[in-house]
Amino acid sequence: MSNERFGTGSFASDSDRSGDPRTNGKRDGGNERTTTHKLVGEGLAVGYPTTDEPVVECETVVLPEGEVTALVGPNGSGKSTLLKAMANQLSPADGRILLDGESVQTLDSKTLAQELGLLSQENESPGSLTVEDLAYHGRYPHRGFFDSLSDDDHAAVDRAIGLAGVEHLRDKEMSNLSGGQKQLAWIAMVLAQDTDLLLLDEPTTFLDLHHQLRVMEVVRTLNHEEGVTVGIVLHDIGQAARFADNLVAMKDGGLYDWGPPADVVTEELLADVFRVDASVDASVDGESATGPHIAPHRAIEE
Amino acid sequence: MASETASSPGTTRRERWLSRFDGSLFALCLGSLLVVVAGGLVQVSFGAFSMTLVEAWQAVFNPEVVFDSRAWNAFLFGGELPEMNERSLIVWNIRLPRVFVGILVGMNLAVSGAIFQAVTRNELASPFILGVSSGAGLMILVTLVVFSGLTAFLPLVAAVGGAVAFLVVYVIAWKNGTSPVRLVLAGVIVGTVFGSVQTALFFFADDIGVVQSAIAWTTGSLTGADWEQVRMALPWTVVAMSLALLGSRQLNVLLLGERTAKSLGMSVEKVRFALSGVAVLAAAASIAVAGIVGFVGLIVPHMVRNVVGSDYKNLVVGCIFAGPALMVAADVGARLALNPVQIPVGVVTGLVGGPYFLYLMRKQDRMGEI
Repeated sequence: MSNERFGTGSFASDSDRSGDPRTNGKRDGGNERTTTHKLVGEGLAVGYPTTDEPVVECETVVLPEGEVTALVGPNGSGKSTLLKAMANQLSPADGRILLDGESVQTLDSKTLAQELGLLSQENESPGSLTVEDLAYHGRYPHRGFFDSLSDDDHAAVDRAIGLAGVEHLRDKEMSNLSGGQKQLAWIAMVLAQDTDLLLLDEPTTFLDLHHQLRVMEVVRTLNHEEGVTVGIVLHDIGQAARFADNLVAMKDGGLYDWGPPADVVTEELLADVFRVDASVDASVDGESATGPHIAPHRAIEE
Repeated sequence: MASETASSPGTTRRERWLSRFDGSLFALCLGSLLVVVAGGLVQVSFGAFSMTLVEAWQAVFNPEVVFDSRAWNAFLFGGELPEMNERSLIVWNIRLPRVFVGILVGMNLAVSGAIFQAVTRNELASPFILGVSSGAGLMILVTLVVFSGLTAFLPLVAAVGGAVAFLVVYVIAWKNGTSPVRLVLAGVIVGTVFGSVQTALFFFADDIGVVQSAIAWTTGSLTGADWEQVRMALPWTVVAMSLALLGSRQLNVLLLGERTAKSLGMSVEKVRFALSGVAVLAAAASIAVAGIVGFVGLIVPHMVRNVVGSDYKNLVVGCIFAGPALMVAADVGARLALNPVQIPVGVVTGLVGGPYFLYLMRKQDRMGEI
């Protein structure tokens, strides 16, 4: 389904592995009315204050509106860095990031937080904070300095707690929750922010399988039922292939390939990017319930 | 978008508000209030001119003073004192102001400490962690030893010294923004340097009176606290406490960590600087009237957090009550324990605070992080 929205077969099966989605985007725009791009990064060079060289450099990266885009790649490939830059947590040394056509750097921080929710990789909260209290913090960008809680705030928090499936934990203190429950509570907080765009940095890492799937199902529900655009960094390419409409594969701080999972997830990609000798089951395509099957065999020697 | 579960928002909001009104917070405030009243009554009864508790009570609630606008004018605005009987004069003009100053100092230090603990995300932070005490201490010594002509302005000079040292700490810590760790380290650096200079200055003090005065200021003392000190501290205290209460939600969000606060749309640097400014204001107000009283700003937020949890909406309110309780109780000890000799109240808070902290350290497995 998502295949078509992107201008079928325009790039992913190309032998050219540079995977420049900008040219693709232009082609899309020229040919037919396609999905608009919620968040676009152009000519990005992103580094940290402590590094001289940029950690991530990429021509164009795009999160299409109303779709789930997963950023995948090995450790140190720069996917989290890219996500932080897209969320304006890191200012890029070069390039710009456009949210609905407006540069995120010029947006007021509260206005940005009303449009874009971000869940960082590791989060710590005071132990005595309850799940409900945490969710109410998600309303921060919607409240002025002197505003007390409005009915909108209560409704948004109730909805977020329901969506994240933590109703039964509502009055529990964070220090009494398991890692997976904590993560769902944090997700309730970002959901309470009530944004059209959600960026999640490795929300499933360190969770058991049950909670990994819970988190991903919340993401999918949010996307399908509320049309929220999602950008998500995932460690597990199988999971990414299963839940995402598009994959952005990163390698050494650059974009390796971009497109629907069925096109991107290939044995070649697994060898080149992940340095894993694996077979991809072509008989199970990206539209099946569990996504393309990847069977890793062994790590490829350096 | 509105969820069905938000049924009858009116009642649920009321329930929520009630559930937030913590029973433990109420108990803490009530207990603190009792300690302050009891400590205050002891303070007004005992001393060189002794009276019974009943007499003291009568003098405190002497309607001729309590309902006399001229008397309040004299107390709060420095007008001329109307005539009153001897007991009331001693109680209202000499002993009570000291209790009031103790109350103001206690709440300022406690709230200041609570704010700094959130800003640095460290439970071991105190009002004096970011250089405030060392700056104030240095300026006190410089004034007493070098510019003895300025002694009349000592409170002001001390408070300004504290605020300037805080700015120096901020500048040192600033490198593409600040971080809690860098702020604390910069505070230690400034504290070490200023502390050395301060100690060196003691050698240039020419007589024992100057040294004693310097020690009283740098350990914190309420001796001789008068209505003038109340007048000096009260407006700033009101401002600082209101700002702290208003900022409690910001403090709560800061506790979620810098990244989360930023992703929620907070301008972390601005908020952190503004809240630190409120805390420095509170600390400076207390330094100006009582010198550098240690430990209150460290222990009180701890004690309150143990009772009401880490929600700053409750914590700030708790500190506003518990700070005065500790301060007034400690001052009873400072004034009466070695009667007729008075010791600086900072010595007593240190003596009480140290063991309590040791007890906390033994009891809790994890300390340091909020």
